[in-house]
Amino acid sequence: MNDIAPALPPIDDDDLLAGEYALGVLDPDARRATQRRIDADRDFAARVARWDAHFSPWLLRVDAVEPGAQVWPRIRTSLGWSAVEGHRKGLWDNAAFWRGTTALAVAASVFAVAIGVWRTPEPAAPVPPPVVVVQPPPATDEAAALPVTVLATDDGNTGWIARVAPDRSKVLMVPKPRPLDAGGKVNELWIIASGEAPKSLGFVSNDKAHSIDIPATLRDAVAAGAVFAVTLEPEQGLPHAAPSGPVVAKGQILSI
Amino acid sequence: MSAIPLQQSLDGSADPLAALLAQVAEGRRDAFESLYRQTSATMLGICLRVLRDREEAEDVLQEVYVAVWSKAAQFDQQRARAMTWLGTIARNRAIDRVRARPSPALHEPIEDHELADDEAPTPAAGIDAALERAQLDDCMDQLEPKRRSLIRTAFFENVTYDVLALRAEAPLGSVKSWIRRGLQQLKACLER
Repeated sequence: MNDIAPALPPIDDDDLLAGEYALGVLDPDARRATQRRIDADRDFAARVARWDAHFSPWLLRVDAVEPGAQVWPRIRTSLGWSAVEGHRKGLWDNAAFWRGTTALAVAASVFAVAIGVWRTPEPAAPVPPPVVVVQPPPATDEAAALPVTVLATDDGNTGWIARVAPDRSKVLMVPKPRPLDAGGKVNELWIIASGEAPKSLGFVSNDKAHSIDIPATLRDAVAAGAVFAVTLEPEQGLPHAAPSGPVVAKGQILSI
Repeated sequence: MSAIPLQQSLDGSADPLAALLAQVAEGRRDAFESLYRQTSATMLGICLRVLRDREEAEDVLQEVYVAVWSKAAQFDQQRARAMTWLGTIARNRAIDRVRARPSPALHEPIEDHELADDEAPTPAAGIDAALERAQLDDCMDQLEPKRRSLIRTAFFENVTYDVLALRAEAPLGSVKSWIRRGLQQLKACLER
């Protein structure tokens, strides 16, 4: 051997094989045989793990790429679970909870008080003032039917709850708090009337409930059958003429 | 003091993903979802680097997490950092997939993977990761250029001995012995 390197400590064949496996150079037969050995031989598996740790700075020096929204439901399905979280859903993801009038009134009022929005008193106020929150809402048909629209994410979780004022002058958006987009984009709310292009209602917060004024020209579009959608958009130029980013959540208005 | 195992003193409880994996091992679906949310982008990056095809990479990603759900109990915090353990599963599955393709890439020349993206490691990666990286770089630098280049190419392009030999235009036996000798030297340097 004509190596200049000083005498190296001898490496045992298993360590060498473990290193070759971790590096990825073994041909398919040797690779499969080595994988069987890893499964069967704890000591050998530990040798491979040591090599994997040595190479981990290379392994993890990689550009992160967000998987598509369909991957998680597919994983769930492969495991024999429902594609979306079912009976284990929290209240946030339970539309029945949100359609419950008392619960909605309480929740909305809590947000209204906490954040100071939705102050405008209205004749047909959808939300009782905070002082009467503890009272059950009047048992009229109107009150019993306080409708909300759930904007669901692709994996079936709740993204936002939308509550349109009866006169359609504004919509209260209650988010399920979500992290800010890493790329610095913001959430933009759209109303899509059946067969029409999306129209922007402007910025919607990822973590705070707030109301959004609906321009008079768009009030007709906000009707049963239309769809609310949230997309990720650059902050600059809000509200945009048309969406350009991915849909984060959407939901059809069933009634107002 | 010296009674603390090395890995533990390095990692200790400062590996939140390891804690999540322990919960996954207990069958906690919420922990599994958190794990997915926190790691899937890096994991897809790893699969993509091997497969270079988004759809195939997402397929493998799905397989990988299904495997993680059933293998979580095998994760040993004393032996590996959680992200390394997860990432290695992803890389190995992606390699298995790419090798199952009809024709491997034979024609590209060997490049020296000097890794231009040598930005400082992020603080989030942790001091241990930064040290390990510096150590690997340092030990690789001590290898003779041919061995260094072959080992880097093997890792970053996921090619087997035969393909390496074709691409290096050298006899298979020589390529094997260069790589084995390089691995031996690397191990001596990394574990001294």
